[in-house]
Amino acid sequence: MTRSLALGALVISSVLVAAAYVAAMVSSGVPSWAPWALMVGTSTIMLATMVLGASRARGGVGKLAVPFVIIFAILIASFSAALSMPAESASSALWLGLPPRAAVILYGIGVFPLFLLPIAYAVTFETLTLSDDDLARVRAARAQRS
Amino acid sequence: MTLAQTSALPPLAQPIISVVAIVYFAIVAAIGVWATRRTRTASDFFVAGQGIGLWALAIASMAATLSGFAFIGGPGLVYSVGIGAVFIILPVSLTNSMGAWVLAKRMRLLAEVRDMITVPDAIGARYRSPLAQGLAAVAILIAVVGYMATNVLALGLVIDAIFGVGLAWGIWIGTLITLAYSVAGGILAGVYTDVFQGSLMALASVLVFVYVLEVGSGLSGISRTILGADPTFLGPWGKLTPLAALSFFFVFGLGSLGQPHVVHKFYMLRDPRRLKWYPLIMTTALFVTLLLYVGVGLAVKSLVATGTMPALARPDDATPVFLLRFTPLLLAALVFSGVAAAIMSTVNSFMSIGAAALTHDIPVALGRRVGNELLWGRISTVAISIVAALVAQASGTLVAFLGIFGWGLFSSTLVPALAIGLNWQGATRAGAVASIATGLVVTLLFETLAYLKVYTIPAGVSVAGLSLVGSLLVFLVVSWFTQGSEGAAIDPDIKLVMEV
Repeated sequence: MTRSLALGALVISSVLVAAAYVAAMVSSGVPSWAPWALMVGTSTIMLATMVLGASRARGGVGKLAVPFVIIFAILIASFSAALSMPAESASSALWLGLPPRAAVILYGIGVFPLFLLPIAYAVTFETLTLSDDDLARVRAARAQRS
Repeated sequence: MTLAQTSALPPLAQPIISVVAIVYFAIVAAIGVWATRRTRTASDFFVAGQGIGLWALAIASMAATLSGFAFIGGPGLVYSVGIGAVFIILPVSLTNSMGAWVLAKRMRLLAEVRDMITVPDAIGARYRSPLAQGLAAVAILIAVVGYMATNVLALGLVIDAIFGVGLAWGIWIGTLITLAYSVAGGILAGVYTDVFQGSLMALASVLVFVYVLEVGSGLSGISRTILGADPTFLGPWGKLTPLAALSFFFVFGLGSLGQPHVVHKFYMLRDPRRLKWYPLIMTTALFVTLLLYVGVGLAVKSLVATGTMPALARPDDATPVFLLRFTPLLLAALVFSGVAAAIMSTVNSFMSIGAAALTHDIPVALGRRVGNELLWGRISTVAISIVAALVAQASGTLVAFLGIFGWGLFSSTLVPALAIGLNWQGATRAGAVASIATGLVVTLLFETLAYLKVYTIPAGVSVAGLSLVGSLLVFLVVSWFTQGSEGAAIDPDIKLVMEV
C-alpha cells in the first residue's frame, strides 16, 4: 500500500516536472505556474523516492512517517515562502544574518533536514532498515545459491 | 558536484604553496605504495576487496562527490549569481539520507548475494539483462571520458598556477600522479587517498569560513553590505530565475542517486550494519566542506561592494584572490592542495568506474569475460586516462561540451533503472532498457544541438533535468505496459534483497 502510494506520487510529480519544462519550452515566456509545478513536483519526487526506498515489503515506513511528513512540509512551505514573500530591499530585516527569503531557503531546506533525516535513519536502522535477521536471510540465500 | 574548472587561475607560484603541494603529493604517493601491496585481485582493484570501514566509506564518498568546482567554480558562481548558485548544493541536506534508504542497503546486500564489482552489474542482475548492463556501461563510459577530461584540465590549471609549469605540463603531471596510484593500487588506493584528501578539504573549508566571517564582520555584516548594493543578489534565486534555481535542485537532488562513482562505493563496506551512521557522517562532512562554497562567494561580493577589493575580472578568481589577500599563506596553500585533492579524488573514482565498464561490463554484455580482469583493469585505466588527457589538451570548447553533460547522463541513465528499479518489483527489463536509451539519446541530442547552436533550450530549463524526467517517465510507463512479460521476472536472491 505504502509503496503503491509512493509510486503513484512519483508518477504524478514526474508529470508535474515535465509539464513545467514543456511549458517553458513551448511558450514565449515561462508561465507563472511553472515554478510552482516544478517546486511541488521536485519536492514530491524526492519524498516519494525516499518512501519507496524506506518501505518494507510487508509494511509501510513505520515511525519514519513522522520525519518524512515534516520534511515534505518544510520543503513545500519554504519554497512557497520564497515564491510568494515580498522581495528584499536595502532595509530588509535579517533572520539569522540573512534576508527572510534566503534564510527560509538556506536554513529551512539547507540546514534543518541535515540532522533530522540522518538521525531518523540511524534511530530506526535495526527495526526498519536492516536487522541481524535480515542479514542472516540474505547470507543464507547466498549459501543456497552456491 | 562534478562541474569543473575550465579557465585559468591567477599565478600562485610561491615557495610555501609549492612546498605544501609537494608534501601533499608525497603523502598521496605513500598511500598509493601502501595500497599497491594490498591489491592482488580484481575485487581488490575494483571494490577494495569489500573491506573498508564506515568512516573511510563516508569520507571517500564525500571527496569523490566534490570536485574542484566546490572550491573554485562554485564560489565564483555564488559571486556572480548570488544565492541561486546555492541550489546546486542545497539538496545535500536530503540526498545522503535518500541515497541511504534507496540505494546503500540494497547495493551492499547485492554484494552479499552476488559477486558485484560495478554499478551496471546491479542493473544486469536486477533485470537479468546483459543488454541493460551494457547500455548502462556505455553511458557511464561516455560520461566518464567527458568528466575526466574537464577534471584533468582543471588539475592542469591548478598545477600550472602552483608550479608555473604551463598548462600542457600541468595536465600530464596531474594525470600521471593520479594514474600512478590508481593503476597500482586501484580503488583501494583511491579510497584511502580520498580519506586523506577529504579530511584536508573539510579542514581547509572550515578554516576559510572562519576568515570569511571575520573579514566580512559576520554573516549579518556581509548581508547588510550586499543588500545595500544589490538586493536581488540575496534574493532566494539570486540572479537566476526561480525555474532555473529549482531546476538545479531537481537535477542535483534526484540526480545524486545516479552518480556511479559514489553509489559504487556501497559495495566496498565491510559490514552492511555499519550503514546506520553513514548518512549522518556523510552529510556532516559535505556540509562542513561546502561552507567555503557559500562563504567565499558572499564575502568577495561584499568586499567588492565596499570597495575593499576591485571587481573580479573572472568569477573563478574569487577563491584564489580571497585566500591570497585575506588568509595566512599556509592556509591558502592548504586550500590549493585541497583543490588538487578534490579533483584528483574525483578523477581517480572515474578512472576506476570507466575501467570497470570497459573491462567487465561491456564484455559481459557481449557474452564474454576478460581472462585477467586485474591486468586489463590496469591497462584500461591507463587507456582511458590518456584519452581524457588528450581531449583535455586538444580543445577548450570540446572539453566544456563533454563536461557539461556528465551529470545529466549519469542521472538520466541510472536513476530510473537503478534507484527506482531496485525498489519497485513492477519495473521491467523493457522499462530499464527504454529509460537508459532515452537518457542517452535526449542528453546527447539536446547537448549536441546546443553545442552546434542549432537549438538552444530556453533559460531555466536544463537538458539534465529534461532528460532525467523524460527517462523516468519512460521507465514508469514502459514498465507498466510490460508487466507480466518474461522480462518482468526477478531472480529469487535479488527479490529477497529488494524485499528486505
